[in-house]
This record gives sequence, C-alpha cells and structure tokens, in this order.
Amino acid sequence: MTGPADIIFYLLAAMTVGAAILVAILPNIVYSAIALLFSFAGVAGLYVYLSADFLAATQVLIYVGGILILILFAVFLSNRISDVKISNPSRFHWQAAFICLGLFGILSYTAVSTAFPVKAVLSYQPTTSEIGELLMTRYLLPFEVASVLLLAALIGAAMLSRPDGGRGRPAEMEEPKR
Amino acid sequence: MAPIAIDAQALLQSTYSILPEILVVATALFVLFVDLILPEENKRVLCGVSIIGVALSLFAVFSMGPARISGFSGAVVHDGLGAFFEIVILSACALTLLMATGYSEWEGTHKGEFYSLLLLSTSGMMFMAKGTDLMTVFLGLETLSIPIYVLVGFHRNRMSSIEGALKYFLLGAFASGFLLYGIALIYAVSGTTKIPQLAAMLLDASLAGNPMFLAGAGLLLVGLAFKVSLVPFHMWTPDAYEGAPTLVTAFMSAAVKAAAFAALIRFLLLALPGMQPAMGKILWILAVLTMTVGNLSALRQDNVKRMLAYSSIAHAGYILVGMVSGDVLGGQASLFYLLVYAFMNIGAFGVVMLIAQKEDEGYDIGNFAGIGFRYPVLGALLTLFLVSLGGIPPTAGFIGKFYLFSAAVKNGYIGLAVIGVLNSAVSIYYYLRLVVYMYMMPAGAEAPAPRPPRVAFSLALCASAAVVLVLGILPRSVLEFAERSVLSLLM
Repeated sequence: MTGPADIIFYLLAAMTVGAAILVAILPNIVYSAIALLFSFAGVAGLYVYLSADFLAATQVLIYVGGILILILFAVFLSNRISDVKISNPSRFHWQAAFICLGLFGILSYTAVSTAFPVKAVLSYQPTTSEIGELLMTRYLLPFEVASVLLLAALIGAAMLSRPDGGRGRPAEMEEPKR
Repeated sequence: MAPIAIDAQALLQSTYSILPEILVVATALFVLFVDLILPEENKRVLCGVSIIGVALSLFAVFSMGPARISGFSGAVVHDGLGAFFEIVILSACALTLLMATGYSEWEGTHKGEFYSLLLLSTSGMMFMAKGTDLMTVFLGLETLSIPIYVLVGFHRNRMSSIEGALKYFLLGAFASGFLLYGIALIYAVSGTTKIPQLAAMLLDASLAGNPMFLAGAGLLLVGLAFKVSLVPFHMWTPDAYEGAPTLVTAFMSAAVKAAAFAALIRFLLLALPGMQPAMGKILWILAVLTMTVGNLSALRQDNVKRMLAYSSIAHAGYILVGMVSGDVLGGQASLFYLLVYAFMNIGAFGVVMLIAQKEDEGYDIGNFAGIGFRYPVLGALLTLFLVSLGGIPPTAGFIGKFYLFSAAVKNGYIGLAVIGVLNSAVSIYYYLRLVVYMYMMPAGAEAPAPRPPRVAFSLALCASAAVVLVLGILPRSVLEFAERSVLSLLM
C-alpha cells in the first residue's frame, strides 16, 4: 500500500522529526531556530495531509510566521547569544537519553498496540466554518476562558518587562556575573 | 454535521452556572480600569474593590446553593463539589486580599496588576474546580498558572524572586505539556474529553486496560501532580515558595493546591473504580513518597518560609491518602482537609509575614527567638496554626488527619495509615522547633519589633484562627457539607 501519498507522508514525518532532533542537538541557537522552522512546516504539511486545512493555515500563520520570528528576534536582541559556549549548552546527556528512550519506548508501544478507528475515505472538505460554529456553540466556554488566559498573559508580560513603576526608570538589579 | 442550536434559554442557564467566575473576572477588569484613574497615593482602594468583588462572588456561590447546574454543553457544572472548592478558593483569596492591605504597603505591591492577576488566577482555579471537560480543566489550569508565574516574580529587584519565577515557569510549562499530551492520548483512544463520559466508558475493561489510555492517564496525573507538588515533581516548590512575595506564597500554598486537587478528585473519584488496582498502587506510592520526603526535608530547614514550603509538600501527601482510599469517606476527608489547610496555612504565613519584616533574610528562624513573650498575641496565634499543621487536638488539623487516616484504615490501607501517622509525628518536631524558638530562646540584642498589623490584617488572622479552633471542636456541619459534595459528584 505504498502510493505516492504514503511517500509524501513519510517525507513529511521525517522532516518534522529530523528537524526536531536538530533543534535539540545543534550547539548554536540560531541554527536551532532555523531547524525549528522546518519542524513547524512539516507539522503544517501533516495537517494538510489529514485534510485539516484550517489547522494547517493557523500553523503556518502562528508558528512559522509568528512564534519563530519572535524567537529569532529574541535571539538577535540578546547579547552575545550567538557565542556557542553560552548559546545552547546541553548537560546530563546520559540521563536525558535514558529517560527519553524510556518514554519513546512506552509511547511507541502504545501507538503500535492501539487499534485506532480509521476512516475508510478521507473527504477533503473545508473545515473552517465547522470549527467556527463549534467554537461559538459547543466550545464557547473554552473559547471565552482562553481570552481570559490571554488577557492574564498580556498583563503579566507588560508587568514583567516594563521599567519599575512604569516611570521610565529601569529595574535595579545586579548584573549577572560572567 | 448538523448545526448545533444553542438557544437563549440554554445560554442564560450556562451563564448562570458560571456566575461566580464572571463576577471575579469582571472585578479583575474593573480593577485594571480603576487603576488608571487613581492617583498614586490612593492605590489601596484597589485592594478594597477586589475584596468586594470576591465577597460578591462568595455570596453568589452561597445563594446558588448545592443544586446541580450544568452549562455550555457539559463543559462546566456547578455542583456540590464545585461549590465546595469555590468556597475554599474564594476564602483563600479573600484572606490573601485582607492581608494585602498591610503587606502591599510594606513591600510595594499596591498595584493594579497585582490585584487583577490575583483575581484572574482565582477565576482560573474556579473554572478548574468546576470543569467537567478536560479542556476546561486545562484552560483553567493555564489561567491559574500564568498569573501565578508573574506574581512569584513580582519583586523584580530581588534575585530570589526572579529565580523562583523562572524555575516555576519553565517546569510549569513542561508540566502543562505533559497534561495536554495526556488529554490528547485519552481523546485519541476514547473520542471524548468529558470526564463523566470517560468514567462511564471505563466500566468497560477494554478501555481501562488499553495501553494508550493508561499512558494518557499517567501523563495527566503527572501534569496535575506537578501543580500540587507531589514528590517526584516537587523540585520547584521550595525555590518558588521562598522567592515569591510571602503573600503570594500563602495564596499559592492554599488556593493552587485546592484547585489542582479539585480537578484530581473529580477525575479520580469518577474514574478510579475503572482503573483499579494499578492506579491505586501508583497513588499509594506517590502518597508515601510525598509525605516522607516532604517531612524529612523540612526537618533540616532554618528558613521558616522554606520549612513551610516543604511542609506544604508533605500536606499534599496527607491529602492524597484520602484519594488512595477512593471512596466517599476518603473524598470527604480530603475535602475537609483542604479547607482546613487553606485557613491554617494562610494564617501561619500571615503571622510569619508580620514577624519577619524583610523578605529573604528576615525569615531565618533566629529572628523568631523570644517573640512568644514579647508579643504574646502573635506568639499564641502562630503556635495555634503550627499546632494545627502538626495535627494536635483540639485543632482542625487533628480532625482532618484523623478522618484521612481512618478512611485509609477502613479501606484496608493500614500500612499507609501507619506511615502517615509516623510522618505527622516527625512533622511535629519541626513545627514545635519554631515554637521552642519563640518561647524558650532569648531574643537577640537588636531583635526588630514585628510590624503593627492593620485592622483588615488582624481580621484575616482572627478569622483563620477562629476557623481552625471551631472546626477543631465542632467539625460536624462542615464534614457533612463535604460528604454531600462528594455524593453530589458520584450521583
């Protein structure tokens, strides 16, 4: 059952996972960020493959277009972050490998042993209007609570980043010792 | 798919079912607006406004009664359990706000952001306590957590505050990921995120034994265990509690714990019968580890705030004992203990806050030497709260522990009850050590005088002390309320 569709799926999956591995192991954080771009794009491709057009579009808009740009901006504005020594160091290799492989084993076992309800035919219909309707009816409460959550995050971010008391005076804190 | 009609009647009922939450969020927004027009020297009005909002919300909870009101197509339900936890969370918030009248003056937290974040976090907790859909629970958890991360780091010029906030934030984000992954796995295998439907499906053994469901439930447990700081997931607790402004520490230790336990209790009491015996064993191990590690680490602390942080870990273990029992009696005992714990812990932090004066170095145990005789009221109050935390009669802490351990014995977990009792014996050492410092050590040469409390602050302390004493002597009505709450969930 290897048609062209399956080959595309495996390519997308390999791109997502391979890029994600690179994000974790590359020593320079700028390279990691670029690798993250490919991982996000791969996930967007998987959404398209599953006929989730709305999700794919938001994935590109928010993750590729928004979050990644923010990460890059944060990296570029940070002092000396491109210095490999302080950029993206990794420690505890063996312990991390042990835990991650254990988790990987458990999750792949569960994925293989579970019989998923598989749809016989995938219908490539637009899903946006359906999602919009559900957000306004069945999932109205989560939708509204999410807005409260975003408001809290907004206030918190403004609170933490602006100068003390909001009077243009920078927060007095000792410089971290290098 | 056919369109889902949501008529005006249903929408009205849904809105009514979350009335207390709406009041809290509205107060938070109102505080933000009032903050803009208030002059700098009148910021304490904000605290008053917040207290009024919380009182209104508490009134709404009481007037709605224990009747079951379901809303938003089963995303949320106002039932006995939800009402009970709303009362716990709102009381904790009200006590915190009363104490804020004094604390904010000393530490410069009379700010609109402080109060609105506190209220938004409270609303998240309430959603979490009432959520019958795992999505509501997750969103409530995030709405609870993000303001708390900011509040922990509110003292931006104190290194320990920033450090605690960053540790809490990074580990918390990770734990949220676990929780969400768990929900996704559960959805993948069962096709629903509604807790009651899940519980009904679990009666069928094929789902309960499904490895993917078990992995999902495990990840869900990890995410919630992080928030209540059960032992392998407790690493953030001492640093975050020590670094946070003490007022926020008091709020976190009582309210965050209550909210996360509310979700855990709702999930476990409904789903546990289908997931025995594996889940029971896991909870047993977690409870024993949490009690033991928390108490043994608390023994060696010389910083009172850190000591109370480890003690709060141990208390999460005691509460989990009620979950291991898994029946009505155990659930009732956990609910009662969470209520009592909120009052006694906030009370203890309140007195400590008055005595310590300065963040960081003020909390050294040496600063408490000789307080008992020089300031008899403060000494007596702190002694009362510590005795209650240690579980000595005639305080409410004793009654709570008594019910927790007797529920364990009644369900055949005698070993667990013995370990719990031994642990409380250990904990008495470090609680009484502070009492010994207060009454038997001579005060240092330049021992600072505690801050004079404001009226509202004293009111909060007296209310906590009254609850601890009254529930220690006449616990019946509250115990019955807790029992009705658990029964309302199971029916």
